[in-house]
Amino acid sequence: MKTLLLVLAILAPLLGGVIYGLERKVKARMQNRMGPPILQPFYDFFKLADKRPLQVHSFHSLMGIAFFLAAWFAVFSLMVGPNLLVAIFLHVLALLFITAGGFSVKSPYSVMGALRELAHILAAEPILVFAVVGLYLASGSWNVIDILHSEPPPLLKMPLVFAVLLLTLPILLKKSPFDISEAHQEIIGGWEIEFSGIYYEAVYTAKWLEYIFVYFIIFLFGGANYLLGLGLVLLAFLFVALIDNSTTRLTIHHMVKFSLGVLLPLAAFNVFWVALWGH
Amino acid sequence: MENLLVWSLILIPWLSALGIFLLRKHLAAVFLTAFNLLVLTALSLYLWFNGNFPVTLQTPKFLDWIITIYDYGLLFYFLKQGWEHKNKAVSLLAVIQLILLTWALLIMPHSDIGNLYIDKLSVFMYLIVATVGSLITLFATRYMQDEDPSREAEFVAILVWFLGVMNFAVSVNNIEWFFALFETTTLASYLLIRFRRDEISFKNALLALWMNQIGGIAILLALLFAVHKYGITHFTQLLQHKEVALFPLAFLSAAALVKGAQMPFHRWLLGAMVAPTPVSAILHSATMVKIAPYLILRLSPVLQNTLLAKLLIIYTGFVFVVTALLALNEVHFKRILAYSTISLLALMMLAGAVGTPLAITVALMLIAFHALAKALLFLEAGVMEKLYKAKTIYDMKHLINKAPVTVFFILVGFLSMTMVPFAMFVAKWLLISEMAQLLSKASYIITVGILALGGAILTVLYLKILGIAINRDEETFKVKLEKQPFLYAFPNTVYVALILLATLLISPVLAHLFAPITADIVNQAPNFATDTLDVVVDNLRLPFWQIVIAFFFVVVFPIIAHFIHFKADRAPEYTCGEPLKVQISTYNMVCLEKAYPYLEMVALALFVLVLIIGGGML
Repeated sequence: MKTLLLVLAILAPLLGGVIYGLERKVKARMQNRMGPPILQPFYDFFKLADKRPLQVHSFHSLMGIAFFLAAWFAVFSLMVGPNLLVAIFLHVLALLFITAGGFSVKSPYSVMGALRELAHILAAEPILVFAVVGLYLASGSWNVIDILHSEPPPLLKMPLVFAVLLLTLPILLKKSPFDISEAHQEIIGGWEIEFSGIYYEAVYTAKWLEYIFVYFIIFLFGGANYLLGLGLVLLAFLFVALIDNSTTRLTIHHMVKFSLGVLLPLAAFNVFWVALWGH
Repeated sequence: MENLLVWSLILIPWLSALGIFLLRKHLAAVFLTAFNLLVLTALSLYLWFNGNFPVTLQTPKFLDWIITIYDYGLLFYFLKQGWEHKNKAVSLLAVIQLILLTWALLIMPHSDIGNLYIDKLSVFMYLIVATVGSLITLFATRYMQDEDPSREAEFVAILVWFLGVMNFAVSVNNIEWFFALFETTTLASYLLIRFRRDEISFKNALLALWMNQIGGIAILLALLFAVHKYGITHFTQLLQHKEVALFPLAFLSAAALVKGAQMPFHRWLLGAMVAPTPVSAILHSATMVKIAPYLILRLSPVLQNTLLAKLLIIYTGFVFVVTALLALNEVHFKRILAYSTISLLALMMLAGAVGTPLAITVALMLIAFHALAKALLFLEAGVMEKLYKAKTIYDMKHLINKAPVTVFFILVGFLSMTMVPFAMFVAKWLLISEMAQLLSKASYIITVGILALGGAILTVLYLKILGIAINRDEETFKVKLEKQPFLYAFPNTVYVALILLATLLISPVLAHLFAPITADIVNQAPNFATDTLDVVVDNLRLPFWQIVIAFFFVVVFPIIAHFIHFKADRAPEYTCGEPLKVQISTYNMVCLEKAYPYLEMVALALFVLVLIIGGGML
């Protein structure tokens, strides 16, 4: 089990690329078009690596690379590391880099994207903490190995927490209606705009790693029932794609109010319930 | 031996202060503050390694008389200030304190219990005062050269005198003496806030004076009740009493809340930011306001599990989140730091009120590392104010071009308060984990949400400020490290070095510094693993490899990012092809201004609940 997770963590960018490619295919089919091949993200990688390197300044490019490396480190700590809660905060660390990168250039779109990214952090991170606390209460351990052996699956004790996490996925993955920090029509990609070529590849791959990070936590709600876990991941995957294709973008006010005003209390209620009466 | 050391720790700063004041020379001030730094640190360390703790020390009889006379003198001075500046609140509260003090002294029984009580918590506070505090006084000598050289001696002398007061305050066992020292810290606040002698300084100094006097009244009320009902005059009696005396505990906690500037008493701390920066550093973030969590920690053995503790948790949790939110709307750098201080003080008191061994350790970690981080940040605020004329966060735009080292130190200061792998993150992580396992108490589960939310808000706040500072428009091929006066750079470098070193070595620091102090306070210490650099306690583990890699990312990477240059062509930033003049700004949460009065009302209501229901008055 440990070695499997270690291998998964090392191959995470590749796995993430496949998931991202699948998502583009699913999204395309929902829009009644063919869509790119599933391995398109890897074709993109080779294309981007081939381009003439352009940058605004090295610090900015380095922050993009740091985002990729820190995101990989977060995924690695999530799968291999002994404590789930630490991995959540390492995820914030990864976002710190891209936010810093976004702030470091004199580009209005980049800075706007970075500021909106801060709103994403504010909205999503408390939910992730609650999700992990929920997993702890349901399985009795912070260690991912124990959670993967927990019977009954954490989903049964923490249905609301799972539902809340599901609804937070658009915020974490920057999908409509909460694709606010990218908002192509409004701020032309936000902090992505000033990256190009191989530096953009770093940021692009980091996004794949976000998928792995988030979907792995979803998988953990299946506990020892890996089939259930895969089913939950599939459900989440399709749900995110469906919502992405059928909603328009909201504002950061909506996002933060919804997340902290509706989702967080629901998650807290579930945790309360289990804590006070679930034993 | 302990007697001699403790009195040295109190008297050496006082004598140094006298020397600085009388000699009136910059070099004398530098020498004496540096002397204090070395001697106080050495004495504290010697006491730590060689003292027998806990120990109650006797004091000569005449000292009782001196302190009582001093008490009256102090209160009359406050009354005089209220009269002179036509401030009714100050005068009225001083009169009330005089009445209550007289009453307390009249009914006070004779007691043979030692008036000083030293345990590892006291020595821990001595160490913080000695290192963090003395370095600030050293900084202050140079700062005053840039501000007003003719008043340097007066200013630095008061700061150094204050170090002795602080050492005294964390050593006392007698509640009346604690009242005297509490009000002395109020006096120090008053003298130093009004130092610049302009209208706003006087106004804010008086505000601090009357608000802190409320804390003094709370202590006197606690003392009166304790003496009247139980005959208790000393902290050790209060802690060993067979039934928990809720009323005095509630009012002592209220005094702590006022000193810790919790809402709705936060205005005095925010107003105090008009004082020169070393004042903000030493009084209002690193040392004096630490009396608040110190007092809660002193009371924690009997406070744990009471209704008062639960109400305190809810109240401080509320303040933690709300003040972090309010900071998002501020533009003045020191005010942001002030709100952040209040927020983290609330967290320290929350951890103290929870009272389990791990929570006590968390409170201690927060006290120590917050002192280091905030001292660093306030001193950097002073550097920015004097060298770069930057007071608001908008003045900090593009600061990385002019002052990369300053920006790096500010980065360490801010990120050490929230990010992996720093000690304050470890503290928060331990607290969330501890709260998640205390299943049967609802107020503890609330803490998980509060910590998650407050932590996210503070992270957003710090990143927002750092973002403005690191904005730059071109590649810097030659990194110009800015030149700073030695006395500005030295204290900040020491703080950064201590923070970074303690972060890497957090496991031994936890096992050998914080765990023994916890053992002294609650007679039980969390069992931190001592044979590994991983942080291991019960079923929690933070591996050293994660600490090191995160350290590399947060500390090393931002440095080397300045020196790595990719061979790539430059592309200008995208502005739709228009020759736009780009001006970078940031979000402010203006919507909070409408909510502010309601938040204050809720905070006041919670405070009253803590007093009335927590104090068992219903």
